[in-house]
Amino acid sequence: MKKLFRAAAVAAATALALTACGGGGSSADPANVAPTGEIKPREISWLLSRPADGAVINIMKKLADDYAKDHPGFELNLITTPDRPSYIQKLETLAAANKLPELFDTDATPFAQQLAGQGKMVDAEKLLKSLDLYDSYRPGALDYQRFDDGSLFMIPFQFELEFIWYNKALLQKAGVSVPTSLDDIPAMCTALRSAGITPIAIDGQDQWPLERYVAYQPFREAGPDFVQQLKKGDAAFADAAGQKTVNWMADLGKADCFQEGFSAQGYSDAQNLFTNGEAAMYNIGTWELPSLATDKLNPAVRDDIDFFTLPTTSGSATAANEFVSPSGIGMAVNTKTYDPLVSDFLKFALQKYPAEYAATGALSPTTDVETAVPANATPLYKKALEQANNLGAKQAMPWDTQLDPTTNGRLQQELVLLVQGDITPAQFTETMDKAIGQNAPKFFK
Amino acid sequence: MIAQTSPAAPPTIRPPSPVAVRRRRKPSLSRTLSRVLIMLIVIVQVYPLAWLFLTSLRTEQDFASGDPFALPSSLTWENYARAFETGDLGRNILNSFIVTMGANILIVLFGMMAAYALQVLGFRHSRIIRGLFMVGIIVPVQIALVPLFIDYSAVNLLDTYQSMIIPLAGFSLPMSIYLFSSFFEYIPRETYEAASLDGAGPYRIFGLITLPLSVNTVVTVVLVNSIFIWNDFIFANTFVLSEDLKTIPLGLQNYIGAMGKVDWTATFAAVCVTITPLLLVFLVLNKAMIQGLESGANKG
Amino acid sequence: MLPNRSRTSVLVFLLPPLLLYCAAVLFPILQSLFLSFFSWNGISDMEFVGLDNYVRMFVADDIFWRAFLNALVYLAICLVLQLGGALVVASLLTSLRRGRELIKTLYLLPAVISTVAIAFLFVRIYSIDPVGLLNQLLHWIGLGSLERPWLSDVNTVLAAVSAPEGWRFTGLYMLIIYAALIAVPKELEEAAVLDGASKWTLFTKIRFPYIRPVWITTTIMATTYGLRGFDIPYLMTNGGPGQSSELLTTYMYKTAFTSTDFGYASTISVFIVIECLVAVGLILFLLKRKAD
Repeated sequence: MKKLFRAAAVAAATALALTACGGGGSSADPANVAPTGEIKPREISWLLSRPADGAVINIMKKLADDYAKDHPGFELNLITTPDRPSYIQKLETLAAANKLPELFDTDATPFAQQLAGQGKMVDAEKLLKSLDLYDSYRPGALDYQRFDDGSLFMIPFQFELEFIWYNKALLQKAGVSVPTSLDDIPAMCTALRSAGITPIAIDGQDQWPLERYVAYQPFREAGPDFVQQLKKGDAAFADAAGQKTVNWMADLGKADCFQEGFSAQGYSDAQNLFTNGEAAMYNIGTWELPSLATDKLNPAVRDDIDFFTLPTTSGSATAANEFVSPSGIGMAVNTKTYDPLVSDFLKFALQKYPAEYAATGALSPTTDVETAVPANATPLYKKALEQANNLGAKQAMPWDTQLDPTTNGRLQQELVLLVQGDITPAQFTETMDKAIGQNAPKFFK
Repeated sequence: MIAQTSPAAPPTIRPPSPVAVRRRRKPSLSRTLSRVLIMLIVIVQVYPLAWLFLTSLRTEQDFASGDPFALPSSLTWENYARAFETGDLGRNILNSFIVTMGANILIVLFGMMAAYALQVLGFRHSRIIRGLFMVGIIVPVQIALVPLFIDYSAVNLLDTYQSMIIPLAGFSLPMSIYLFSSFFEYIPRETYEAASLDGAGPYRIFGLITLPLSVNTVVTVVLVNSIFIWNDFIFANTFVLSEDLKTIPLGLQNYIGAMGKVDWTATFAAVCVTITPLLLVFLVLNKAMIQGLESGANKG
Repeated sequence: MLPNRSRTSVLVFLLPPLLLYCAAVLFPILQSLFLSFFSWNGISDMEFVGLDNYVRMFVADDIFWRAFLNALVYLAICLVLQLGGALVVASLLTSLRRGRELIKTLYLLPAVISTVAIAFLFVRIYSIDPVGLLNQLLHWIGLGSLERPWLSDVNTVLAAVSAPEGWRFTGLYMLIIYAALIAVPKELEEAAVLDGASKWTLFTKIRFPYIRPVWITTTIMATTYGLRGFDIPYLMTNGGPGQSSELLTTYMYKTAFTSTDFGYASTISVFIVIECLVAVGLILFLLKRKAD
């Protein structure tokens, strides 16, 4: 029996050690964006995390079919895992086994930066430049994908703007107006609450929506650099900008800004609260235009809905036209399998994609096409799209792609406690600064 | 059956016995009480399924705006149409079926074999092997994910039916061995000894005595495991990549839209469709399963 | 032992299951044990860190201990619901004369519904804004003061996520226990009743000792599934608010796949394996000793 165990242990060690070695360097050069040689059609795969029946997948399927007509034998295998946590698990296990496919989705996370650092991802800036497409992209769409050092390894397929949608009738009923400063919001919530209205509907279950709020004050107070320093431990929640957001979040909680029991409510619960006319405000991006700015919207509230962009604060370091404008999860190109075929297909697809995408009524990550407003749209649709033409140079990055994953998980958990009043701002500050101190060095060496 | 059911009933409700005569006044009260209790419990158990089905017939508007617990204002099959359009439900069901069957065959066959070796044949140090199997009864499956993924990729098993079947069967094997062992324990030794005297070897005894006697236990093991395997998410999500191999729990993800927005009515329609096969098997085999559990329990 | 068995026949029957089991279960456990001495994020080089992960787990990780205690509470609630509930219902059922088969079948239904749907349903039942079923019921029966967001309240969330898991499999255990109960010889019971035994004595002195072996099996099954609990808390609250409903399994899963800290996640795995072994050992020891 002992022998068996020892043998198994040795085998276990070898198996893992082998894969770990295999995970090391890669011979391909990330900067070699224009491989030479013959284009040999084959099946390539794209591991992605986008809606199974969504525009991106449908368009890419169609483009792949078109490409296959001229290149018999070519096939694009789209492997989607729309649920983000499940997707991330899949991506990580594949990376650990060194089995990443030709194309894969990732945010600009510390994990992705390590992959890029090991030369496993093709330099997207060079790639787009070599395809002569770089200049057609919105700078903001590319910036969203960049790592801290400014390098670009992911290609965006979307461009979204996040607004605070509100119900005019409900605001009127409570006798409040659109906030001019972030600092007005707690008082506004109190007024709405006393009029019997839920101030803000929020999806607490998915956690990222609440994390947006914690990013707002520092973005206004100290600009986009704050989170970049915070995540490395060079700034802290104990700093002025940090304390401002911690106390603001606690104030939002004290003013009962969010629906009771929000932490367990899902995406559609929150949206329904708003579209049923029960909640006054709802913070969401342009990907919801089809449900918020078309005739699909509940007729009872359709004429009362409007939106405002992220309010500024007095002495704000960023301007009113600078807010959260993400370009979604990006697509990375695997260096190991990058060859003339992948290169040629990307050239074909990326050129045609923007026009097809804009035709669906969504904002393209490029500026060379005009988004088609659907026939059933309300006037709000056009108004929302127009915001994209007038953006400032800075954008508020969602913190969930910025912080190291362990700190991020802790932040999401502690934020709920802070807003619910289960912990004090001081406790929150201490816990989070300690968590960053423990975890940041492992990810940002 | 009726004669058999009475013995365990509290004596208070058996009319002819003298005991019942002595306590005539009490029965109606305690009986009504237990009836009411049972009805309540049944409602609690059945309610979710009914709710699920009703919700799958609601219009999206009704679902979004209405009280989720009220009766739907109007019924629609539109969600089912959308469920079939967005996902490949037929394929998902087929895949789940293949995985469930494959795993069950391994679980039953290997479980029976191991139990036979441990319980009937017996050998020195069988306690050690038994203990080794016990470890698996209690280990949470999540711990195997990373190592298994690496091992599978090393032997090119990723993205195959086997990659789901092997761990599902492996982790269910211990419980199966346990159930078969406790059943075998109560097959009288004399049965085996008589067969042995007739010259039957271990293989013939297995085929002629053990196997036929275990039918009910087999049904029990299959049904209990099917419940878990049919709805398994974690192994399928970890080891399967291609659309062609997606099982039902993975297929349900097709109704997740941008940023985690879920098309719930279509999801529930899909859930209703996908649990139907399991439910049917369940209803048909229910009796055998209950008997299997009962015969195990009777002797246990 | 069967008289005519041979060494080969034992091997023929034992080897295939053992191989499958080793490949799917034992080997990965050993790999976990091995990994627990390393620091590895899946793509970095593996770095041997000795017992650092264990030291961190026992000394420096407040979430770990919180998750451990939560897992025990979760287990306790599941056991009470599943075993207690099963016993009560099984006893009630023995008093029915008709419709038993139907009720037994209906009782098993929740077990076949996928956890995704169950989690979604219970989130609604516990909800307060809009008012869910539970709060509505409390309001109707005049216990309005108890209304609360069950899944957001740090004091109630753990019980709230345990209940659906307990409820789901009550039917299964009820069947097993019911089967054992109706097998109690009626002569024993009648004799006891004639001796003037109360219902309670009847239960503790006659019925329960008779079904004890089945009870042990059921307890072990329920305990191990309870310790494996993952889906429902993960889907309903993802461990929150704060760490109020974080279990060891969800914490380990997050450590592995959110934090990509595979070494440390393996350390937690090793702990879970040991915890489970101790739990089952304890059950066997306690129940066997009582019986003797």
